Amino acid sequence: MLRFALHTLRLSGLCFLVACLLGRPVIAQVPAPDEETYRIAKQLNCPTCAGRNLADCPTETCAQWKAEIKAQLDTGKSAQEVLDYFQARFGPTVLQEPPKAGVTAPLWAAPVGAALIFLLAAGAAMWRASHRGESANVAAADAAEDPFVAALEAEVRRDG
Amino acid sequence: MSGKPLIVAGILLGIVAIAGVFAIALNLVSQQGARPKPGSPAPDFTLTLYPGYRAGLPEQIRLSDLRGKVVVMNFWASWCVECYKEADALEAVYRKYKDRGVIFLGIDYLDTEAPALAYLKQYDVTYPNGLDVQQRIARAYRITGVPETFFIDRNGVVREVTIAPLTEAQLIAKIEALLAE
Repeated sequence: MLRFALHTLRLSGLCFLVACLLGRPVIAQVPAPDEETYRIAKQLNCPTCAGRNLADCPTETCAQWKAEIKAQLDTGKSAQEVLDYFQARFGPTVLQEPPKAGVTAPLWAAPVGAALIFLLAAGAAMWRASHRGESANVAAADAAEDPFVAALEAEVRRDG
Repeated sequence: MSGKPLIVAGILLGIVAIAGVFAIALNLVSQQGARPKPGSPAPDFTLTLYPGYRAGLPEQIRLSDLRGKVVVMNFWASWCVECYKEADALEAVYRKYKDRGVIFLGIDYLDTEAPALAYLKQYDVTYPNGLDVQQRIARAYRITGVPETFFIDRNGVVREVTIAPLTEAQLIAKIEALLAE
């Protein structure tokens, strides 16, 4: 009886697992075209107002650009192909995050380089400081073990 | 060498690196140069014309190839409300002067193709028009918006810049002055 109950429980668990895997909402995995348009527009700049995102900009220019994104998606282009189209037509500054290459590459590399130089210098300074401390301790220990120094110290203590 | 000078050297190097970043950024901004003033040579460029808007010219034209003709160069965009106001005047004056050694060039700025072609069709534009790819021409002429119109004489020199919609009378007056030279 117990074995039957355990078997039924195992079977139920297996069925539940299969139902969970097969029954996942498929629609949620495929974004609707407008969501995709918005997602791509979020990666582009408004061409006429500085620093504004295309997706959130209400101007006529941006409305046209968003319509262009949707039209291209409708023809089957991928998001990357749409972004490439805008970059080729309007230049890399149209992207919210311009490519880290070409003349702007040093702008991305310089802060990292500066941080690395600082860390290296700080590390070297700390290593030197600790090394100097070690050397001083070793010198003190050597002095303590020297019989001449020990005799001298004993003499000083006696006289004192 | 103690640790303190090393830290100072690191900080200094960091400052130099940050200054370098600013120098590059400033250089990028200044690359645009100044707007060509009247009397200065018109910066040369190549423009790829829209199909159906070549008016007998090749697909790609260079401004320097038009030397010997008066060039009216108009920056516009289909999203530009002010551009609508001068569209009819530009076309009318182009038709009036096209056989008298005057070339009109429409430079489409920050536009997508479908609305741009719809705009040209709507205003029955027939003079040469093309997209300013990556805003190279706009940067060379340092425009601040649209519409802007540059009048270039037969020697390839910028003679006048108008930053507003033009009327037929204004266009005719400026072209006649250049033709009279």
